[in-house]
Amino acid sequence: MREERDKQKAHLRVCGECDLLQKTPELQAGQLIRCVRCQSIIEKKRYHSLDRSLALVLTGLILFFLSNMFPLLTLKAQGVEFDTNLIASSIELLRIDRPFLAILVFVTTIVVPMFSLFGMLFVFMSVKMRWHNEYVGPIFRYLHNTQVWGMLEVFLLAIMVAGVKLADLAEVIPGISLYSFFALILVLATLGSTLSPDEIWDHEREAQL
Amino acid sequence: MSTLNQCARAQGIVGCQHCHTVTKLPKDIAENQCVRCPVCHAKLESRIAHSWGKTLALVLAATFMFIPANILPIMNVTYLGTGTPDTIIAGVMKLLKAEMWPLALIVFVASFVVPIMKIVVLFGLLITVKMKSQWRPVGRTRLFQITEFVGRWSMVDIFVLAILVALVQFGNLASVDAGLGALSFAAVVVLTMFAAHTFDQRLIWDAMND
Ligand SMILES: [Zn+2]
Ligand SMILES: [Zn+2]
Repeated sequence: MREERDKQKAHLRVCGECDLLQKTPELQAGQLIRCVRCQSIIEKKRYHSLDRSLALVLTGLILFFLSNMFPLLTLKAQGVEFDTNLIASSIELLRIDRPFLAILVFVTTIVVPMFSLFGMLFVFMSVKMRWHNEYVGPIFRYLHNTQVWGMLEVFLLAIMVAGVKLADLAEVIPGISLYSFFALILVLATLGSTLSPDEIWDHEREAQL
Repeated sequence: MSTLNQCARAQGIVGCQHCHTVTKLPKDIAENQCVRCPVCHAKLESRIAHSWGKTLALVLAATFMFIPANILPIMNVTYLGTGTPDTIIAGVMKLLKAEMWPLALIVFVASFVVPIMKIVVLFGLLITVKMKSQWRPVGRTRLFQITEFVGRWSMVDIFVLAILVALVQFGNLASVDAGLGALSFAAVVVLTMFAAHTFDQRLIWDAMND
């Protein structure tokens, strides 16, 4: 009896966009289901491989640190050179006394991306190694919540714009970190398209309820 | 018993916005008592508390900041002792002059069209929600989802500024300073992002539930 009820409960969904209660069929990988009223996606299962996601997160972490170790861009004029990397771009804003901008750039290009990489590492490892702990849920929720504040791909566009703007002022030399940064964006994009959050949540529901 | 294809709130049921776990709210719930999701421990709210008022305040503040963001220079480029202040639009013009029109278009959309669109859409949603309008709820939901997603690209100008400040440090020869426009513009981006965050799109559908 109880089992029956749990089974029914598991297939009950409330659309997050329009608050409509509805019953959904069990999904297979590669399928998604839309709300009957507002057509928003309410559940999506991808061909998710935990091992591949873990590999991508580890690659992402290495690339993130490489992007901060070497110059992204170097500007050369009259024999003098200046270079910048990810972290320096926010710190330099402190030099010209703009703490608000410095914090904003630091949070969106360092804090949130680093939190999301380490957070995903923790969540995937916990699921894979079956470390049952109460932190997986909240951390995965924070990852979802802070997602829009991670802006590395916007920063890549900014590098291109800055490069063009400076081209007629002085010589712009792409640095080693530019390549690792570019690779990092690709890794994060791949991760975003292979990750299947509903699967992690199903796993958590089984563990917690 | 719960009825399918009906509003969840009317039945005392709430779906977690994060992990989609469905929970039945206890009947005798005290005021100010907070119910948490059993799976992800998020605060469970059928509607975000004071969503309408908070969103309105944030959008009004963003609208107000949008004016100095476009009038005041976003950066000040000093080259050979003479400074040329650059507003957002002047920056786009410079890219056009360099015949980088794809980049100019992207920057124009990201730093001018997107903030205006966000402000207009959020105002529109606030008004239609207040009027309990039943006009195209699916379209309005979609519009909100797009608004929530594209807002971050407006940060591109702030990042360009950060990179230029870090790179161009040739003393009197050439240097870059941030203008007050940059602060106002950053405020617009942050305020509209928070506004999209506090707006509860389920309000759009409340007019359809009666
Ligand atoms: Zn819906
Ligand atoms: Zn939850």
